[in-house]
Amino acid sequence: MSLFFQSVVLGVLLGGLYALLAAGLTLYFGVMRVVMIAHSAFLILSAYLAWWFTTETGLDPLLSLVVTVPLFFVAGVLMQRLLISRLRPATLTMMSVLLTFSVALVIEGMLGFVFSGTQRRIRLPYSGDSLELFGANIAVVKLIAFGLAAVSLGALFLILKKTQFGQALRATIQHPDAARLIGINTDRIAGYGFGLGLATAAIGGTALALDSTIYPSLHWHWIGPLMAIIVVGGLGSIPGAAIAAMLLGLGQSLLQIPLGTTWAQTIFYLALFATLMVRPQGFFGGRLAQRF
Amino acid sequence: MRNASDPTSDSTSDPTSDSTSDPTSDPTVRTDAGSRGRAVLLAKGIGLLVLAAAVLSFPSLAPDAFILSVGVVIMSYAVLATSWNFVGGFTGYISLGHAAYSGLGAYATALLVIHTSLNPWVAMLLGGLLVAALAVPIGIASLRVRGASFVIVSIAMVLILLLVFQSWGEVTGGSNGLRVPRPFDESVLRPEQHERFFYLHVALLAVALLTWWAIDRSRFGTGLKAIREDEDKAQSLGVPTFNYKLVAFIVSAFFTALGGGMYALWFGFLDPIFQFSILVGSYMVLMSLLGGIRSLFGPLLGAVIVGYAVEFFKNQYGDTQFHLVAMGLLLGIVVLFMPDGIIPALSSLINRFSPQAASIREVSAGELAEQRRAAASEGKDLDATEAEPTDSLPEGAKR
Repeated sequence: MSLFFQSVVLGVLLGGLYALLAAGLTLYFGVMRVVMIAHSAFLILSAYLAWWFTTETGLDPLLSLVVTVPLFFVAGVLMQRLLISRLRPATLTMMSVLLTFSVALVIEGMLGFVFSGTQRRIRLPYSGDSLELFGANIAVVKLIAFGLAAVSLGALFLILKKTQFGQALRATIQHPDAARLIGINTDRIAGYGFGLGLATAAIGGTALALDSTIYPSLHWHWIGPLMAIIVVGGLGSIPGAAIAAMLLGLGQSLLQIPLGTTWAQTIFYLALFATLMVRPQGFFGGRLAQRF
Repeated sequence: MRNASDPTSDSTSDPTSDSTSDPTSDPTVRTDAGSRGRAVLLAKGIGLLVLAAAVLSFPSLAPDAFILSVGVVIMSYAVLATSWNFVGGFTGYISLGHAAYSGLGAYATALLVIHTSLNPWVAMLLGGLLVAALAVPIGIASLRVRGASFVIVSIAMVLILLLVFQSWGEVTGGSNGLRVPRPFDESVLRPEQHERFFYLHVALLAVALLTWWAIDRSRFGTGLKAIREDEDKAQSLGVPTFNYKLVAFIVSAFFTALGGGMYALWFGFLDPIFQFSILVGSYMVLMSLLGGIRSLFGPLLGAVIVGYAVEFFKNQYGDTQFHLVAMGLLLGIVVLFMPDGIIPALSSLINRFSPQAASIREVSAGELAEQRRAAASEGKDLDATEAEPTDSLPEGAKR
């Protein structure tokens, strides 16, 4: 029983991180109709930057967020303005996949070149600490990672719902032409949306660096589940992505008990195929998702 | 013959071609184009012969076994890229995960050879058919909606298969790999093996190219290209878009699996990491895009360039992380600056300098009457060349 409870808790903690990252991934799709393969590569890049920051300065990796979040936001805006917007609109979805894929390859290659392919891990004074909670044993770093993800997801939600920029962003997602008609500069908004998505990768990467071992090609293990999540949730729907992330993260964690870690990962792909067979627009996707 | 069978794409970029390419309105153009068409046909025939001779004479020109093995690898890439192009070129749906089908074909062939006493070549064919059958549900799931889900499923397929083939050790050999028995017995030495497999790959490539060419000229191919240009319009014109996409996808998976199976028989060893690798899938995309996805020989040209570059790089610098960066940069450059590929860029360059490349033809009334008479007298011949004006003219009229 306690094993079951432990898995549930771990699943929720994992699901929180998935939710934040999937929200970023679905945001790019919403504003630009772009499947951003490089999302998880930026995630690993940010994890490496956090690791590097800690080994060089000896400070807490969380402090690296002060630098990485603005840096990634700017990188996202530049990427949208300089690369994605150059593609022809007619083939944007397909070509953007290739473009972001090539960005992912360059990041992976540079990481391997600069930091070598060795597995890295941050050593922290509280790395081994854990909390007892109703018989479940929870590592403090996982809790911090979850807290970070939850706070950022909450902030993202507030930005989208309460600010004028968020309104403009949602209008751009829903109907770019109409948004342009009422005076929204959709190009600029799309750039900021991209920056916002990449900022989630910066936060997620730092959270990831806290409690896992990182290596350059790790990003392939993240992009598959994340893409499955955004399809299940409905492409372009942020609440859908968050809910699907929670459910699938929980499912993965529970399946690890009978099946082991490797086979438990297949739940994402099974969910992906089941969704496409039964409800191809995803479970929370609206009009937008039906056409893609 | 080929580029021109693409009038859909031409007419979008070039509104004038509509009026000038109508063969019935302007008989002068007809004879003009007829003789030019014959010359082009001849040139193409000669080009094809030269190409075939160059490819077939490669084994006897190769200085050592290593170069010969590089040739086999390049031909294998050419088969895979051409197979990929059945989906990518015709429908415009970019699959990053075709390594899934080549890997499955390789493992299916290997397992059939090991566990049954089938002839290796029958096993390869059977493996291809099995993969094609498997492609049906995958295609149904991924093609029901537009591009984005297709790409996501294609990547997911590679990741899931890598996972499965690494974990399922008792059948697939897991991470230790799987040794594939060779189809030729011990008496055939290494260089001889390479030579035979070179010709076998060339034969497979020829079949794939022939199929691509036949589809390109068919009504089916026109429907597929209509999907590529505008899926909504194609659907509204009555093209059964879903069925067409599905069939193209299955054909592509079949040839990719055959390519994978033949590679398995040649290389003799399979490791999931290399078989189900996103990188291999992206090689296919890069090769096709670089050569030109709308051209019959585009993927072959791309395979020769990229395959040679990859092998050269590996030989000079070893297996460093640099090849990822180089590959990424090259792909990015191709996508941003020449998404149409080398062959279309070259042919437009040639057209620019060709003497016929003027939109206004200066023909006097007398010449016109003369040509009309000539046209009437060889009316039968004209019927034969009826297809030619659409072929050569839109390009001429472009300027």
